[in-house]
Amino acid sequence: MAIPLVPKLLRAHLAELAAEDMRHDGRGRFESRDVELEIDCLTRAEGSARVRMGDTIVFAGVKFQIMTPYPDRPNQGGLMCSAEVRPVAGRQWEPGPPSPQSIELGRVVDRGIRESGCINTEDLCIIPGEKAWQVILDLFAVSDDGNLFDAFALAAIAALKSATIPAERFEAGEDMPLEVSKTPIMCSYHKVGGRFVYDADRREELGGDERIHITLGDDDHVHSLQKGLKGIFTAAEFAEIMNEARSRCAELRDLVDKAIEGE
Amino acid sequence: MGGYGDVQCIDENGIRLDGRKIDEVRPMSIEVGVVPVADGSARMTWGLNDVIAAVYGPMEAHPRKIQRQDRAVLDVRYNMAPFSTTDRIRPGFNRRSREISKVTAEALESVVLTELYPRSKIRVEIEIICAEAGTRCAGITAASVALAHAGIPMTDLVVSVASGKVHDIVVCDLNKEEDNYGEADLPMGILPNSGELVFLQMDGDLSPDQFQEAWDYNMEAAKVVHKHMVEALKRGEA
Repeated sequence: MAIPLVPKLLRAHLAELAAEDMRHDGRGRFESRDVELEIDCLTRAEGSARVRMGDTIVFAGVKFQIMTPYPDRPNQGGLMCSAEVRPVAGRQWEPGPPSPQSIELGRVVDRGIRESGCINTEDLCIIPGEKAWQVILDLFAVSDDGNLFDAFALAAIAALKSATIPAERFEAGEDMPLEVSKTPIMCSYHKVGGRFVYDADRREELGGDERIHITLGDDDHVHSLQKGLKGIFTAAEFAEIMNEARSRCAELRDLVDKAIEGE
Repeated sequence: MGGYGDVQCIDENGIRLDGRKIDEVRPMSIEVGVVPVADGSARMTWGLNDVIAAVYGPMEAHPRKIQRQDRAVLDVRYNMAPFSTTDRIRPGFNRRSREISKVTAEALESVVLTELYPRSKIRVEIEIICAEAGTRCAGITAASVALAHAGIPMTDLVVSVASGKVHDIVVCDLNKEEDNYGEADLPMGILPNSGELVFLQMDGDLSPDQFQEAWDYNMEAAKVVHKHMVEALKRGEA
């Protein structure tokens, strides 16, 4: 990612706004941008979703492959999640092999889904020790105006929940929906002007400090946490955003459930 | 091009698998401004193809070795998203996408007034979200709309269309089955205002008459596509 040249001025500006408890786009501290969620939007994918949060736009696509189960887990299939932020998504994203940033993105989203246990890998077994389904979730950013983490995570779970296992094409039985038993949701908070805000946009990311990503499951269980970038935070700050995350995750979970029900 | 295979792509009445006549173009739509953070962008659906093109720049050209003292360079990347095809594509460049990126850059450099921006670069990103057949044509077409949307001075838009041959019949704008089972493919990049060409490829087998027929189909199809491009840009202005 190109090193931004303006953060000093931007930081000062965001700090001034923070002192007045304001954000540069007029939102409250824990207010999100408008969220749009559309499922089944990619013809060639077996499950797909498009998420728009402000000017951040991402796709998630699910594909299936047949794999040989690992010798130590002969009756389990697999889940693979990869995020790719290609240069189409913004002038700061450069071509080349995956950057550490996009690898972190993919891994944090992957952990939230994997650790929630929403996909039972034993369900993916076709013939123990011989054949199993590998679920491949590809996250693709179209436009990065900040907070790709939450956009990716939301698109990811929605795409999985809308996915169909294409068994007929692989001559492995009848097509069937992929069982996804939970709805893990990620909420990300960025330190901007000395306090945490929810759903930072690109300018707040540029002029901010550390970020914290929280993934919560259906029952408010914590499934993944990640602190990124340089910065120091207190236990009280963390307790505050954790509390915010619980209510916001519930709202977003409803959004996903409605989209899937309306299918 | 594959052989005939078992698939009957055209019936006895000259109707194709997707219901089109042999000289008919697949339905399409174009929308600009789909990548809000880019300087210009366009999304084109063409049959089952779904393509996003984004333009960034003109901006400083780096690394410096790519700079040209007298003009801008076009840094074009054509890429297929992993979920854009029936079998997943492993991310990363391959020989096919490199070649398409190169010929696309050369087609677009033929119309962009690059000499207005010495030592700079213009980034053109073409992402295939969903692929049917003719993704390179859709990519070039969408990219030229995105360049216009970014306000980059150009002598003309570039309309790219392909015709080919299936069961020894020349057909306009190949679909997936025709691409797989057909005998020839002739993609062209046409300047709609002058009828000149900036892009040309061909593979397969065409007699001189069939070649002329395919060529003429492309010229006619370009008019249809051009209309969509202009309308999308006008809507984007409003």
